[in-house]
Amino acid sequence: MATDTRVLAAEFQYLEAHSLDEALAWLGQYGTRARVLAGGTDLLVKMKTGQVQPEYIIYIKKVAGLDYIQADEAGLRIGATTTLRKLEGCAAVKTGYSALYEAVRSMAATAIRNMGTIGGNLGNASPAADTAPPLLVYGATLKLASQAGTRLVPVEEFFLGPGKTCLAPEELLTEISLPPQGSESGSSFLKLGRVAADIAKINVAVSLQRSGRNCTACRIAFGSVAPTPIRVPEAEALLAGQEITEDLIETAAQAGAAAIKPISDNRSTREYRLKVSRVMLAEALRAAWQRAGGVL
Amino acid sequence: MDFQVIGKVLPRKDGIAKVCGQETYPSDVVVPHMLYGVTLRSPYPHAEILRVDTSAAEAMGAVCVTPDDVPEVIYNERTVSIPEKTYCDRRVLPRRARHVGEAIVAVAAETEEIAFKAMQAIKVEYKVLPPVLDLERAMAPGAPALYEEIYLGDQKIAVENNVACERIITVGDPEGAFARADYIVEREYELPRVYHHQMETKTAVCRPEPNGGITVWATTQTIHNVRQLLGRIFSLPLSKVNVKKLAIGGSFGSSIQMNSIIPICVALALKAKRPVKMATSREDDVYDHTKFPARIRLKVGVKKDGTIVAADMRALVDIGAHQINSYPLLGCMAGWYASLYKWGDFRYEGRAVYTNKVPACAMQGYGNPQVNFAVESHMDLIATECGFDPVKFRLKNYVGVGDEFWGQGPTVKSIIKSCGVEEMLQKGAEMIGWGQRRPPREKTGRYRRGIGMARGFHTSGTGGPKPGEVIDYSSATIKINEDGTVDVMTPVMDLGGGTGEAAVKVAAEVLKVPYERVELSRVDTKTTGYDVCTHATRGVYCGCGAVYHVAQQVKQKLFEYAGRILEENPGDLELAYAAEKGVTIIHAKGFKQKQITIGEVARLAQIYSWGTIAATDSLRQKNCPPCFVAHFVEVEVDTWTGIVRVPRAILLSDSGTPINPDMVAGQLIGSLSRGLGYALYEETEYDLESGKLKCNGFITDNKIPTVCEMPRLADIQVYFAHTYEPTGPFGAKGIGEAALNSVASALNNAIYNAIGIRFYRTPITPERVLAALEGGDRDGN
Repeated sequence: MATDTRVLAAEFQYLEAHSLDEALAWLGQYGTRARVLAGGTDLLVKMKTGQVQPEYIIYIKKVAGLDYIQADEAGLRIGATTTLRKLEGCAAVKTGYSALYEAVRSMAATAIRNMGTIGGNLGNASPAADTAPPLLVYGATLKLASQAGTRLVPVEEFFLGPGKTCLAPEELLTEISLPPQGSESGSSFLKLGRVAADIAKINVAVSLQRSGRNCTACRIAFGSVAPTPIRVPEAEALLAGQEITEDLIETAAQAGAAAIKPISDNRSTREYRLKVSRVMLAEALRAAWQRAGGVL
Repeated sequence: MDFQVIGKVLPRKDGIAKVCGQETYPSDVVVPHMLYGVTLRSPYPHAEILRVDTSAAEAMGAVCVTPDDVPEVIYNERTVSIPEKTYCDRRVLPRRARHVGEAIVAVAAETEEIAFKAMQAIKVEYKVLPPVLDLERAMAPGAPALYEEIYLGDQKIAVENNVACERIITVGDPEGAFARADYIVEREYELPRVYHHQMETKTAVCRPEPNGGITVWATTQTIHNVRQLLGRIFSLPLSKVNVKKLAIGGSFGSSIQMNSIIPICVALALKAKRPVKMATSREDDVYDHTKFPARIRLKVGVKKDGTIVAADMRALVDIGAHQINSYPLLGCMAGWYASLYKWGDFRYEGRAVYTNKVPACAMQGYGNPQVNFAVESHMDLIATECGFDPVKFRLKNYVGVGDEFWGQGPTVKSIIKSCGVEEMLQKGAEMIGWGQRRPPREKTGRYRRGIGMARGFHTSGTGGPKPGEVIDYSSATIKINEDGTVDVMTPVMDLGGGTGEAAVKVAAEVLKVPYERVELSRVDTKTTGYDVCTHATRGVYCGCGAVYHVAQQVKQKLFEYAGRILEENPGDLELAYAAEKGVTIIHAKGFKQKQITIGEVARLAQIYSWGTIAATDSLRQKNCPPCFVAHFVEVEVDTWTGIVRVPRAILLSDSGTPINPDMVAGQLIGSLSRGLGYALYEETEYDLESGKLKCNGFITDNKIPTVCEMPRLADIQVYFAHTYEPTGPFGAKGIGEAALNSVASALNNAIYNAIGIRFYRTPITPERVLAALEGGDRDGN
């Protein structure tokens, strides 16, 4: 075949970074000729199938200070090389950021979650990336570092297209920070795959704030229905400042489904994605509302 | 029956090695000084190979084998059928590629990486030909031909309209019988191509020997057929071809034939004059074999009282680019159909058609899951349309004890002597609560549950009272060691189902020796007699049938030597296991005090120079008894997403005496998972422009269910019917393929019971369920 996934036949220079400065120096030096390796669950597949052929591999999992989860009153800060498995086991994530917890739990199989990192999932920029919709609805900020310094980018500006991000060739994603979630907030994530251990046919995340019977703010994001994970402001606007009822949830779900433009591919069809997006969004809204303490 | 080891749950002989990673699979074999081989595979579905330039690869130090370097032998890689019924259409490497992924050139080098790079440096000049990728178009006049001529045995035959082979069978007067029927129900069913998904891909290691011969370690279900075929292709005397028996990492039928890389590896090794190892990548393997798809038109005539009087089945099979076993498949499909119900007068027409796709071969059930899906969906449909209870309707018409069973098509038949169908259907109905089953029209709401059942069977081997089109016999060697322990040498491959343990148990039971004192020997084709293949669910019934047969001879030898020592007539002696002392004794009948342990007999036989107590022989089974199964399942359909879940499953089997009851249950539960995939998830689809698989050979886009899609273990119940097969070793029949055959049918029937929509094509994906629910199409197509 044109590929042989048993071997990595292409030659490359393997560089193992032990500090952020070292990694950034190499990135500055090699730029587009280099690729960053963390868990490798996406990169190695792409290398074996010939989609990317880097001359340099910069391994960053041994960089001290990129693997952490810090939860405090300022919110949640996650180091880019934190594994999905570690996020799944983190109490602060489970209790405070339900959508992120549910997203990570839904990903692949345990062996893959043991290797894969949150930074890698974002950097790979798949339209189906499961951690993206939760980060979109939490309004996460990404810290991008280079030798020139660091900059903060809202996650919404990060994804540019399938496999494309706003990361410059010399930049490295180092941290994901999520704002604190109030006591009257709730979030949820739902996903459909072909089987349980799969990439999403479609995924959706919801985060909302409650005041009494009203929703004060709401964010909704879908994955796998557009070239990048997307927010659906059309549906969000219907809910913000409104009293939440079953009818309103249905209306918002329909508006959300009407706003997406999915395609047919190996995993599902456009028609199916359009139909189930409404069902999934309604369910995700209900779950988030109830988690925020709302009743229906 | 009271057995010493048969039917007991005991540790697998290879269990510790397997769980500790110590078992040797072909991919673990490393031979000093070996090269690694890879193949260049066709990017086109149909293309003539005009020129191959290997100079750049050779400049990199690689050894290359092109279509010009392989023997001019046209063969069929499966040699289970007799030669005059075997269609041959392939060479080791072809001069014309007939499917994307067909190996054209082979390369060996010091590492697999160098070999792969050298392969990329090879230049092939193709003349691209128009491909045939659609079954109907393949048979249309003027369609491009895959073959002008092929061979049936030694006979050259022409191929017309891409029809590879066909079988037409008429029993009685079906037309007249249809005229007498009160109801006639006719539908068309379609089953897709699916990939075997066995864990291990294919490996071959070939070492040229100083005597001009070869030693081969390879992934296979039959070491002897590989040996014979390699001898024929490479003109080597069989005494100089040795194929080693190793563990296999699953096969599901994909290694019944000699795997395509085995002769390629031999050609490389002979040219390089060094050992060569080839192991296929997953994408190579997905492009190497597939389950037979089928389009089945079925018409059945029934009387008002539920008696079936006539049937007609037309099966069309898209076999892909080569005939591996399509002619026997068409016969077997006829047999599975003919043996499910007493059709009265019936007709069968099967046609296999060449297309430029991956060649299809046997996969667990060999046409049976396909036929079963059509027939068992149809039985449910008839019951619904004519107002019969599905269970009673089946009980009224099933083929059972005293009836004829077609174990391997129309030429391999025997009379059924044991049958648990009635017991299983009654028990299954009781366990699932069949009496409380409600019709689909009474179900509302988002989640709708349904109960469905289906029954099936498979043959146990391909034996019969007279020789048919299929070769079937096994050999075994058993010897008593000088301390009374036992060595069993069997060429029968254990595909993971526990055939090896069964062989040990059968020998232990005959010789009354504890399980721990019997071991399997590491063998090869030079040290064993012939065995055809572990296929057709024949491992226990036929393979262990030979072990039983030989163990009886060893027992006689033991009596003969013991008779000399005890000064008794061998005919007056008996074997017994003295549990309190943990020894096996031979004693005079009715006089236990006069006894000797078999260890002592073996020891004395050696000291007195009488010889080793051993025997070697072959056995052909004269029957092909069906092992029956029944599946009663509950499904839950989410009518908003189309997702089907299986909250509960009851799996019933009649495999005669279950020699390894834990492994029989394992086969049933494992097959529930595979059947779930066949019914709801799997299909290897093609891009009809490029002839490539949509998944590109990667399992990323070729999903099968895992444990996550299964019912919880507590919600799976297994039940064994109480039967004893008089012709089997200690009453045993098979189970392996039977376990799968009615799973998809039962699920389809349960889905109908949940939502009132019957599907005629698998996989029944959420996309199709939702489209059917919303389209209001009661036929689900």
